[in-house]
This record gives sequence, C-alpha cells and structure tokens, in this order.
Amino acid sequence: MSNLIDRRAPENTTPFVTGLADAVLREIAELLDTLIETGETGIIDLHSLPMTDADRDMLKEGLGEGEVRVDLDVAGPSRIEETGTAGVWWVRHEGADGRIAAELIEVTRIPEILLSHPDDIREGRTRLREHLDEAGETGTEELAE
Amino acid sequence: MTKDRTLGEHMSRRGISRRAFGKYCAYLASTMALSPKMAPAMAQGLAAARRQAVIWLSFQECTGCTESFTRSYSPTLEDLIFDFISLDYHHTLQAASGEAAELAREQSMEENKGKYIVVVDGSVPTKDGGVYSMIAGHTNVDILASTIENAFAVVAVGTCAAFGGLPYAKPNPTGAVAISELVGNKPLINIPGCPPVPEAMTGTIAHILAFGSLPELDDKHRPLAFFGESIHDRCYRRSFYERGLFAKSFDDEGARKGWCLYEVGCKGPIAYNTCATTKWNGGTSFPIQSGHTCFACGSPNFWDQGGFYKSLPSRTSSIGTVAGATAAAGVALGAGAALIAANRKKQYSKET
Repeated sequence: MSNLIDRRAPENTTPFVTGLADAVLREIAELLDTLIETGETGIIDLHSLPMTDADRDMLKEGLGEGEVRVDLDVAGPSRIEETGTAGVWWVRHEGADGRIAAELIEVTRIPEILLSHPDDIREGRTRLREHLDEAGETGTEELAE
Repeated sequence: MTKDRTLGEHMSRRGISRRAFGKYCAYLASTMALSPKMAPAMAQGLAAARRQAVIWLSFQECTGCTESFTRSYSPTLEDLIFDFISLDYHHTLQAASGEAAELAREQSMEENKGKYIVVVDGSVPTKDGGVYSMIAGHTNVDILASTIENAFAVVAVGTCAAFGGLPYAKPNPTGAVAISELVGNKPLINIPGCPPVPEAMTGTIAHILAFGSLPELDDKHRPLAFFGESIHDRCYRRSFYERGLFAKSFDDEGARKGWCLYEVGCKGPIAYNTCATTKWNGGTSFPIQSGHTCFACGSPNFWDQGGFYKSLPSRTSSIGTVAGATAAAGVALGAGAALIAANRKKQYSKET
C-alpha cells in the first residue's frame, strides 16, 4: 500500500516574483514620509500578503541589514530587527513550536512591544517594595537578636 | 481567580507581562485580517476585560469540535484563550458529574446573567417531542431554551450546530435542526466545520472579549474574518485551475504533479472556510495540500451534495475569474485580499 502513495511534496507552484516586494517597499517609503513629517507610525502585515520566497528575499534586500536585533521570550520566541533602513523594523512572532504567528514591518522609532508597559512597571514596583519591606523586617529581627 | 480581577491583573500575578497580550493580539489581528494597528487597542481591551463565563452545551454531536478546540496549535500563545475564559460547564472536560454538574451550569447562569456566552456543538432533535437526545431528564430543546434565556450571545460550533450537519442528513430520522432554528433573536455566531478550525473558535471568542461585541458576520452568521473567502480563492493550486491542469484520478500524473483536484470532486469553490490560509495541525497542511479534495464540510447540507468525489456541475458558475497567467493570478488574489482587508478595516474603524 505504502509504495502506491507518492510522498513527494507538491511541486512549488510559486517560484516567481509577483511584484509584491516592490509594492511593499513603495508603501514603506510612504510610511517613512508620514513618520518623518507627522510622527505617526505605520505597520504592514506581511502574513496576509501572498508573497513568494523570491518576493521576501527581494524585500529583505531592498531594506538591508541593520544594527539592532532583539530576541524576546514571550509566549514563544519573537525576533525584532531594525533593517538597514533606519526606522523600519522587521517583527516576527512565533508560537512555542516555531510556527510564525505574525510577521510585521513596523515603521517607527521603536516597536511598541519593546517598551515596558505602565501596568507592568507598576506591578514591578509593587513586587520590589514588598521585597524591600520583607528584607527590612528580617534585618530588624536579626538586629534585635 | 477572583472574579472582579481584570485579565491583565490575573495574568500579571502569574508572571505574564502585557507584552504577551500585545503579541497575542498581533497574532489575532493577522489571523482575522484586521489592521495590525488595531492590535494595541485590542490588547488594551483584553487586559481590561473580566474572565468570560462560557457554558458549553453538547447535543447530537461526536465531540470532534471539542477535540479541535483543545488542540489549538501553540502550547503557549494560543493557549492564552484558556486563561481568558471560565469554562463553567462542559460534559467532556468538567470534573463534576450528575446534579453537581447541572448545579454548576445554573450557578454560572445566575451569577453572570446577561453576560455569559453559550457555546453549542451538535444539532437538536425535535421529532417525537425531542426524546432522541436528553440530558439529566430534559430534552435538548428545553435545555437550550433555558440556558440561552439570559445569555449575551450563542456560538454554534461545528456544522451540526450551525447547519444540522450529519444528524440533519437525509433521511434525518430524529428531526434534527440547526441551533439557528431555536434561538429566536438572540445574537448568534455560527462557526461551522467538521470540525471547525480551532483558531476560528478561539479567535472569535477573543474578539468578543477584546471589543465587547460580535465580529462582523455574513448572511449565515459566520465571522467574515474566517469565512469571507472560499477555499478555492485562497488555494495554492488555483494557478493550475486557471491553466486548465487537472488531476483526473487520485494516482494519475496530474495528482502526482499537484494539479487542481476540481475534477475529482473538490468542493473548494463552494466552501467558505479558513483551512487554506490558517491550515491544520499547527499550520502543517490542509486536505488539498495533503492530496485530497475539500468536502466543503463547513457548508450547509454537505452530506447531501451528491457524493464527495463527484465533481461540481459547472466549472465556471459562482467562481470568480482572474487573469489566466499564473503571476497575474497571484497578484490579483493579493489585491482582492487587500481590498477585503481594507473594507474590514473601514468597518471596524467605524465600530471602535
């Protein structure tokens, strides 16, 4: 039975350049104009575009390689890289199994997910205060002994 | 968890930062074809929401929908949904049984009056007074009526609940009906599929939590984000369809070369679902990618369409035309998807 089944993967049906990389690069250029002139940030969802591998390579080549690379460990890994075009970030979120959950181009000074959230800062302060209070009580007890 | 605590507070106490909300909503926005700029607002909404009470009713069903729901792909990211909801009643998953189980349902209904969501899988038998499926001495008709009375919304998961499914197939010996026949004017979302794609179920519930409202639906009450396009529209084999290259049987040269499966009975052109993009088993594949046809398992009457391997009557009817060249087809599909996404973006902008 098993020799009757062709286990080869289907032939690659899209090894061509669709022109999407060029369209995305032009959109990025416009988003950079907006960022410079008004400070408004922009995002493009790459996951929703039917890009081929060749398109993706063209897009990467067009943006170049930058100098900042950040790895996050938040509900699975994420990699955030600034491209060679300053202000243009390539954000890739994965689940724990390595599957891409979201892939975005962010046009901004820094992607929002890198900033500490005010609620997390408040929670951190609370924990630190509690720790200091506990340490203070222990220290007082030790001194009393 | 304490019921008056927000999800943000609840997760924070478990050492999960707001970045996880941001990442989850970036994933959700991408899955639902929403503007990625909405992700921060969604994360904010989700963090401020209270845990959602959910009562899950199982009627004439096979538990496949539950199997699918509990196998959302990622052990971390997608599993967040199980922290966001309080599953107060579910035959297969709850520890309680008998009267204690029914009491849990009644308590949740009382404590969350007007706020809880009722998820239903399975159709409801109505013949002979509904005696063909009963729970704790009550017919499915009665249980559904009493449970949805004070619900915020009803979510019918699976084709049996959404359209009748297998129990409704000819000759329908139990007089099975879809949930839509029994909910009156109560807000209803249908998430069909046999079983439904897990992300369509979890994404819809997360949307309700983040926005406090139902997602945009089509005329069959299906969320457009997951059911707005046909399998054919998004099929990677579509370029072969455009060029007239078809497999004629499952082991011929065309099948081996990965050509279009239309002539061996693929129902992709009439199937509205998200399998071709979201895929199954952690994004591994979907039936057509694995060499089989699409059954249109999320469509009404899919069991009675004249045979899973019988080709659709016409190759041109109800199927959109795109440029013949493969490259042009790719760009045209992309443009169409972009247009749909843009329209959704506009509609959501109005809502929020």
